[in-house]
Amino acid sequence: MTTALTLTTGPGAVLTAAGEIDMSNAETFAAALTSAVTSAAGSPLTVDLTAVQYLDSAGLAALFVQADHIEVLTGPILAPLLEISGLSEMTTVRWA
Amino acid sequence: MSGIERLPSPHTFSADPEVGTDLAAVDWAATPLGEPEQWPQSLRTAVSILLSSRFSMWMAWGPELTFFCNAAYRRHTLHEKYPWALGRPAREVWAEIWDDIGPRIDTVLSTGEATWDEGLLLFLERAGYPEESYHTFSYSPLRDDEGGLVGMLCVVSEDTDQVIGERRMGTLRDLGSDPSVARTEREMLAFTSRQLGRNQADLPFTLTYLFGDDGRPELAASTGFDNPHPTPGSEGTHPATEPEGTPLATGSDGVYPAPGSDAGGSETGFVSAHRATAPEVWPADRVATGEPVLVELAGEPFAGLPTGVWPDPPTRALVLPLPRQGGTPYGFLVAGLNRHRPFDDSYRGFLELVAGHVAAGIASTRSYRAQQRRAEELAELDRAKTTFFSNISHEFRTPLTLIMGPVEDLRARLTSAGDEVREGIEVIHRNGLRLGKLVNTLLDFSRIEAGRMQARYEPVDLSAVTAELASAFRSAIERAGLTFEVDCPPLPEPVHVDLGMWEKVVLNLLSNALKFTFDGGVRVAVRADGPDAVVTVTDTGVGVPEEEMPRLFERFHRIENARSRSNEGSGIGLALVQELVRLHGGTIAAQSETGRGTSFAIRLPFGHAHLPDYTGVPVAGGSREATPSRPSPVGAASAQPDPATPLSTNADPFLQEALRWLPPGGASPPTRAALEPVAGPVPGTGTSVLVADDNADMRDYLTRLLRSAGHRVTAVVDGRYALDAARAEVPDIVVSDVMMPRLDGLQLVAALRADPRTAGTPVLLLSARAGQEASIEGLDAGADDYLFKPFSAAELLARVRANVDLARLRNHHARWRTALIDSLQEAFFVSDESGAIIEINSAFTDILGYGPEGLPYLPVHPWWPDRESDVEGHRAVADSFAMLLDRPYGAYTIPVVHRDGRRLWAAAAFNQVRDPETGRRVIVGTFRDVTAEQHAVQRDSALAALGLCLSEAENLDGALTAVLAELRDIWQATYVLAAVFDDSSSPAVTCTDPALNWETLPEQRRAALLALRARPVLTPVTEEHAGSGITLEHPAGTMVLWIEPGPARPFSTADETLLALLAGHLGQGLNRIHQIDQQRETALALQRAILGPDRLPSGFAVRYEPATRPLKVGGDWYDTIELADGRIGIVVGDCVGHGLQAATVMGQLRSACRALLLRDSSPARTLMSLDVFAAMLPGAACATVFCGVLDPGTGHLVYSSAGHPPAIVGHPDGSTHLLDQGRSRPVAVRAGAERPEAEFTVPPRATLLLYTDGLVERRRRPLSSGISEASTAVRHGLGTPIEDLATEIMDRLTPDNGYDDDVAVLLYRHPGPLELEFPAESGRLAPVRSALRGWLERCGVDAATTQNILVAAGEACANAIEHGHRDSPGGQIRLRAAATAGDLRLIVTDTGMWKNPDPTANPYRGRGLKLMRAFMQAVTVTSGTSGTIVDMQARIS
Repeated sequence: MTTALTLTTGPGAVLTAAGEIDMSNAETFAAALTSAVTSAAGSPLTVDLTAVQYLDSAGLAALFVQADHIEVLTGPILAPLLEISGLSEMTTVRWA
Repeated sequence: MSGIERLPSPHTFSADPEVGTDLAAVDWAATPLGEPEQWPQSLRTAVSILLSSRFSMWMAWGPELTFFCNAAYRRHTLHEKYPWALGRPAREVWAEIWDDIGPRIDTVLSTGEATWDEGLLLFLERAGYPEESYHTFSYSPLRDDEGGLVGMLCVVSEDTDQVIGERRMGTLRDLGSDPSVARTEREMLAFTSRQLGRNQADLPFTLTYLFGDDGRPELAASTGFDNPHPTPGSEGTHPATEPEGTPLATGSDGVYPAPGSDAGGSETGFVSAHRATAPEVWPADRVATGEPVLVELAGEPFAGLPTGVWPDPPTRALVLPLPRQGGTPYGFLVAGLNRHRPFDDSYRGFLELVAGHVAAGIASTRSYRAQQRRAEELAELDRAKTTFFSNISHEFRTPLTLIMGPVEDLRARLTSAGDEVREGIEVIHRNGLRLGKLVNTLLDFSRIEAGRMQARYEPVDLSAVTAELASAFRSAIERAGLTFEVDCPPLPEPVHVDLGMWEKVVLNLLSNALKFTFDGGVRVAVRADGPDAVVTVTDTGVGVPEEEMPRLFERFHRIENARSRSNEGSGIGLALVQELVRLHGGTIAAQSETGRGTSFAIRLPFGHAHLPDYTGVPVAGGSREATPSRPSPVGAASAQPDPATPLSTNADPFLQEALRWLPPGGASPPTRAALEPVAGPVPGTGTSVLVADDNADMRDYLTRLLRSAGHRVTAVVDGRYALDAARAEVPDIVVSDVMMPRLDGLQLVAALRADPRTAGTPVLLLSARAGQEASIEGLDAGADDYLFKPFSAAELLARVRANVDLARLRNHHARWRTALIDSLQEAFFVSDESGAIIEINSAFTDILGYGPEGLPYLPVHPWWPDRESDVEGHRAVADSFAMLLDRPYGAYTIPVVHRDGRRLWAAAAFNQVRDPETGRRVIVGTFRDVTAEQHAVQRDSALAALGLCLSEAENLDGALTAVLAELRDIWQATYVLAAVFDDSSSPAVTCTDPALNWETLPEQRRAALLALRARPVLTPVTEEHAGSGITLEHPAGTMVLWIEPGPARPFSTADETLLALLAGHLGQGLNRIHQIDQQRETALALQRAILGPDRLPSGFAVRYEPATRPLKVGGDWYDTIELADGRIGIVVGDCVGHGLQAATVMGQLRSACRALLLRDSSPARTLMSLDVFAAMLPGAACATVFCGVLDPGTGHLVYSSAGHPPAIVGHPDGSTHLLDQGRSRPVAVRAGAERPEAEFTVPPRATLLLYTDGLVERRRRPLSSGISEASTAVRHGLGTPIEDLATEIMDRLTPDNGYDDDVAVLLYRHPGPLELEFPAESGRLAPVRSALRGWLERCGVDAATTQNILVAAGEACANAIEHGHRDSPGGQIRLRAAATAGDLRLIVTDTGMWKNPDPTANPYRGRGLKLMRAFMQAVTVTSGTSGTIVDMQARIS
């Protein structure tokens, strides 16, 4: 059983995640991220996390791997986490 | 129920996967119900409710009442019948109890009304035997879809453990309820049997055997046997043993004669009718090793055993030793086992406690008996000794005097009689002397013993005195063929001695030396050695064997088989010598070698600073030869000799005796005359005349003149000696010069007249001063006649004769009176109107030490207690004295002080009389020494005071402290100390002086205590001038009790006896308190077990505390009940009263409340039903109850209070308020009336406190102030974890002397902690988060904080999965979250190894810990071999 997570690509260079990301589905998330970054072919990929209720360090790790290629869109729930983890220093984090 | 629809049909059984699976496996087609798919909805619903309930239930449906049950019922009740019972007819499942439950089910099915049974005893065949079990249950009807009655549902709670626990506890409590300390073994066993006989459920029968002196067991008591009676044979042979042999107890409990007692021996004693009571039936040998033995009761001897309350006899019995501390058991207890209960740890524990109690009782009574006997023996011995010695004086001395007087006369008269007659008289005389010497020695001892020896010290040249004494022995020693060396050079300083005593010392030693020396010689030497004079008496005799040396000075100890000149001797001489030397403040030591000789060395200090009551006596002036001697050596009433007594008078008996040892031959024994002083009275028939004149020529003349006339004359040199001589032996007439040194003739007359014994003695004064005036002066002073010098011989003799004759006529009456008064054993006194004592008798002097020479004694009398140091005593005497002067007659008992400083008690009676001659009012009184009686009274009151201390004490330390204070008061001691030698390095010291402990004690005292520790118990030891100690048994080890006496109250023999008695009682009392402590612990453990509940719902904490005074458990209770809908019933109640009765009522109300709440979850209606129930239960009325129903999800509380104090709510912001709505009267006050109900929603992180009034009720203070204090305690505890809060609140509110009422406390904090356990799989993370999120919401935590906590918790769980269980998949992880008012604590525990983060292997994992630390206030990771604990805290307010 994995945690509920919905990943939607597009339109454009956008990957939208909804649900929760933890170690049970972090690999799925990382794979989708890699694939979307590849598809975006050099232009920055916007990762929309506004509908993510929970993100743990496994999910964060996937974001760090792609930090140079993405911009992150976040809501109030994840904002402190992205700040404290240091991701906001390595990549653009925008509030939705 | 809302959940039913969500359960997927057709899986009617899915609410419980386990039981559901077994239900699904039943061949339903074979039952009247058919396949589950065809079941009506009503049946499916009923089964679902059944399975989803956590409460124990079973149900029956359809024509055969087909059986269903849930998991709880399986676990609690069904046991081995599962799963066989499923789907079977109920009648078959419960065949063994169908007689009980069948009619009830019929009632439900025919009337549609529910039944209710509480604590019903049912014998269930669920463990292979009919098991005694108790059930509280309700049968309610089940209806089908059409509303017809088709089955029944049983909601049941099994109360077996509670009921049986209460029953056993009751027995233990009853066993411990006997308050008396002093009991005999029989009484103790009778009491115990009565208690054991009352519980024939757990103890169908018991047999108590005690090992006799021969080690063979004998039956001492039994319970359960209907009629243990004497066998026919023994009735005939022992008719006299009734009623000893008849069972004492009522009913069926018997006590038998103790082993070894007279009543009934082991062969012919009383034997129960039953074979199994014979001791040989039981494995006594195995039990004697200390282990219980389980015996199968199969075979002939066990046929027909008592059954107790059951229909059949026990099949097994446990044989338990009655343990004796540090020894083989006292005996053993056979307990028949309840065949309807398993023999489990709790049953075994109960029986061991019973056996332990019986053994403790035996230990207690036996040691009590032994101590009692010992103390009585000691006291009796002491009394006998005192009586014996005081009787001796009167019984021996009188006849001896009457023998020796006539013998002296006969010797004088029979000088011309035949040799044979003279020889006979000499034999009588010599032996009379010997007997007199022995009696005097014994009397000296009794005086020393009673402290009545009055020494009169005077400074002497010890060398001269000793040499003179020694010279008396010279001829005897030389006659024995021994050399005699006297080496006594003058000493530089005088030594103070009482001459009479010193004579005895020297003469005894010399007599001893002569007795044991056959060759060589005897040497007496005196030397100065520093501050002491040293006198040595050395012989070359047989010597003393080394092993005898330590006992050399022991009284009545004689060295057996020693070669000596005589076998006579009492063994008392050296002991007396030692005592006399001690009285002089000196020491005596002996050195000896067998065959070489013995040397005694006496050391006496110079000066008189070491003498306690030295009163200066001037050296006897004048010449010794001119002083009187005493006619009879046994006439001395006191060891105090007349200072002028010639030495040889006392030497006479010694010499007479010594000379008899020597071989006859040569000269015949010297006659008495050869040893006598020239001026002693010459035997004669005439009157005795005492002559006092300082002129030697006149004295000689008078002596010659009077002797020539046939008078017996004693001549002295002045008035003082005359007075002493007259008092020693009253002469017929005194002839005295007027002009004399020290005491002249007129003063002598006055002194003689003042002493009643000499008041009637005629005095003839001689004076050179002629003239009428002098004559009148003399006659005024009380002289009978007056003669002027020069006078003619004839005139003198005529006047003497005339005065003697006149006095005889005149004084006959007075002499008779004087003799009578002196013969009184009671002290006698006459006082004048002012209270001055003007006349006394010799008993007065004996008792108080004040003699007639001091008369008159003016008030304040010298024997009054000191006004400063003994205020009370002084006042008592002053009050009595006032009474003596005012009242015509009366009696009183007062403390008085002997001349030597001892304190005595005297009981006096007095009368006022009028002196017929003078017409003046005088007071005549008598008194006796009642010191011994006073001590007995003090002993009784001391015992009573000690008993009170012990009965009021709450623990061992308290008892000891109180008792020491009491002992200090009894003895007016400086301090009293107890040192308990347990196993630790230094003893535990308790002292009335708080500054003293083991470290601060003087080294010398520590050593003394250690030495005492090794002494046998209860044997008092007194150290001179230091104090007394005794050893006794304290529960923790040997205890040494030490009494440091105060100056006013030195320790006497009577005090030692009292100390032994008190110490014995103290030991008993301490052990008893120790037992009560242990029993209280046991009782409390049982009470808590009854209270339960086994498992508290989450978020609750409870506490029950009995009252501080022993064993006051009772009426308070708390309870939580998990209701079928997930809500929780909360009950806190308080029954009226304490003890077993209240505990029983409590148990019933608690069960009733529990069952009522399960049936109807309205608190008000529950209390109304409880009103009806309690009205029928004696003792239940007026109980107060708080009853509430709480939804743990929302905190919503519905409650109703029956007169109970309001619950307290503490809000997270620090405010508190009371749940004071929904209040009404206590239970059963007006049954049937409505009760109100109130609602309240417990806010997140608020704390709810329910309690009984013991927590807040304080004497002389309003309840509201206690409640307000409790509110404060709750406020202080808002941040305390709920499980610690009960203790904190109880501690904070503890009154100074502990709780005097029992207290029940129930606490709830909303919401209860979240506890999750899940397998270490990443897929579990989402549901865990979801649960945690929901719980945080119930805690009222805001969204942002919630997110932080979720991340921290998620990381901790992820780490546990990732690291902890990487190598061992499937391990479990536990998460626990608990909140206080302001904080949250989160603990994640796994069972694996948490490896340190390895950044290269898992670059992102290190971030987890960082996130935890970022989002939480404190994070602690503890990793060990058994797993890892992550403990995090966050502020949430």
